[in-house]
Amino acid sequence: MIVQQLINGLTLGSLYALIALGYTMVYGVLLMINFAHSEIFMVGAFASLLCYKALSPVLSPTAAFVGGILCSFIVCAILAFAIERVAYRPLRRAARLAPLISAIGVSILLQNAVFLWISDQSLAYPSAFEPRHFQILGGDINSLQILILGVAVVLMLSLHMFVNKTRLGTAIRATAQDATTASLMGIPVSGIIAITFFLGGALGGVAGALNGMYYGSIKYNMGFVPGIKAFTAAVLGGIGNIPGAMWGGFILGILEAFAAGFIPNGSDWKDVIAFSVLLLILLFRPEGLLGKRVQDKV
Amino acid sequence: MMRRSGRWSVALVFTLLSACGPKEKVARVAIALPLTGDIAALGQGLERASKLALEEANAKGYFQGYRVEARVFDDRSDPREAVSVANRIVSDPSIVAVVGHFNSGCSIPASQVYARAHLTMISPAASNPKLTQQQLDPEWKYPRSIFRVNTTDDVQGPYAADYAVKTLKLRRAVVVHDKSAYGQGVAEEFRKRMSSNGGNVLSFDGINVGDKDFNALLTRLRELKPDVVYWGGDYAGGGLVVRQARGVGLTVPVILSEANMDPEYLRVAGQAAEGTYITFLGAPASELPSAQDFVKRYQARYPHDELKAYDHWGYEAMSIVLDLMHEIGPDKEKILAAVPKIKHEGVLGVTQFDEKGDTLNKTITIFQVKDGTFKPLK
Repeated sequence: MIVQQLINGLTLGSLYALIALGYTMVYGVLLMINFAHSEIFMVGAFASLLCYKALSPVLSPTAAFVGGILCSFIVCAILAFAIERVAYRPLRRAARLAPLISAIGVSILLQNAVFLWISDQSLAYPSAFEPRHFQILGGDINSLQILILGVAVVLMLSLHMFVNKTRLGTAIRATAQDATTASLMGIPVSGIIAITFFLGGALGGVAGALNGMYYGSIKYNMGFVPGIKAFTAAVLGGIGNIPGAMWGGFILGILEAFAAGFIPNGSDWKDVIAFSVLLLILLFRPEGLLGKRVQDKV
Repeated sequence: MMRRSGRWSVALVFTLLSACGPKEKVARVAIALPLTGDIAALGQGLERASKLALEEANAKGYFQGYRVEARVFDDRSDPREAVSVANRIVSDPSIVAVVGHFNSGCSIPASQVYARAHLTMISPAASNPKLTQQQLDPEWKYPRSIFRVNTTDDVQGPYAADYAVKTLKLRRAVVVHDKSAYGQGVAEEFRKRMSSNGGNVLSFDGINVGDKDFNALLTRLRELKPDVVYWGGDYAGGGLVVRQARGVGLTVPVILSEANMDPEYLRVAGQAAEGTYITFLGAPASELPSAQDFVKRYQARYPHDELKAYDHWGYEAMSIVLDLMHEIGPDKEKILAAVPKIKHEGVLGVTQFDEKGDTLNKTITIFQVKDGTFKPLK
């Protein structure tokens, strides 16, 4: 059963990790928590479902399914980009709290827009294929779980390569380190920030699409809980640190699965257990698991 | 000086007269339901049904010398919001009674606000026994103002437990609930009867519906090798739990409490809903001979909406209030005094209240999902 719970935890954790990346990347370049990110995740789920429904009459289910994921990737990337342009960039020089409030405003706006214009009820997310089951080490894993793990790992690895191996990635890291100096070195900081939002939004959107497929239904308020959990994962791993967000997501997912899966009444206590671990880690490593201790920029 | 103030008071009297003279007198009934949030579909259905009762009464000139209006409030299934709604309702002097709330978790705190203000509250759906039980507490200093037209969970939970043990011959149960006053309450009632009628409750777990992922818990429950799963809570969680239970290979029968009687449960659970059992409070409108005419009128009035599971209760709760207003006028104290003694013949058959304020109608109907619809079992 330990393998089974590990699979449950890894699937949940990979969804957390994909969302956590969006939080951590934005925090890295702007030192701002983008509270609208959980709503980008939700919009991703709706975008993929609407695309899937539009594509399924003309394409095979599997192709429509891939189309749905791509659609959420693109729609959410553009949405995050637009949000940055409209709601955060004008406030770049304002007090630290202003963009935070603006983010909460965007979050409320998106949630209500979906509520009013798309659906105030759960929408069923049709399954494109009948999940097949595989046995490994006494645990049962189905094709949907493999797909989620696979997509999440591939996306995270590509992001990691992109940030560490390309010129644009170097520019992102330079901006995260010190935006003023980066701009003196000729890096277009505003453009880099926009790219960061674009990437974070895309990952969040894909997470939304995968979440919809895995649990079979989506709803306008589905972003809130995963958003909070993913934010926690980002803090756990060290906010601003990309591998940290991935590890944070996996650790949180596995902790929750183990708490709910091994302790009687554990599902009542799983948040308490997960957050106690977070507190303990932050007590001893305030910068998070992989975060670096940085001097305040004064 | 005297003349001046005399003239002023004449002017004042004229202003007051012109303010209320030509206007018709209006009495209001508050409708307090979850119109947004997780179970908005059920709340909106109840709102339509209770407004229908009001429209029909106004159309047949039921009220002499005044008009009755509904004032609608949204509690979003949130207990805090429900209390704030209740405070707004009691501060409106034109409101003479309340139809609502839906969730037990909202109804219990809100009912105390109404009781303090001597305002009659008739719930069309809250089923936790504590709602009316609290009025029998010696500490209760207010008038008994809380009533409901639906059957309660101390009947529903035991019914489900007896059905599992006696009819289905299933003894080893695992219980999952959504930690709400309603869900946990009905699950407790199920557990109590299960332990006293020869069954065995192997585990009792609460979940946060917002988490959406219960695979870990359900995997653990599967290892306990139960014969039956009981879900106490509404369809926001029920659909997810049933779907994931089947997903992790927990294939034993599932019994759900009544708040899952909605197409949304079937949508979310999909194929997994097939064969699951749902207990329902009282009888659904389709099974009640006395409700057939109401069903037709409802469909004629709202051709684009389907009748929701609780709608006939909403209609009945509103009808009780309107009938009382028709007989004794729009006076909240008189209404409060008269409700306990009513014998109302309506869509639910005969409704009478016991000393707590609960209906004497204690029937439960059981349904099974077959081919994507709820089929009543005889």
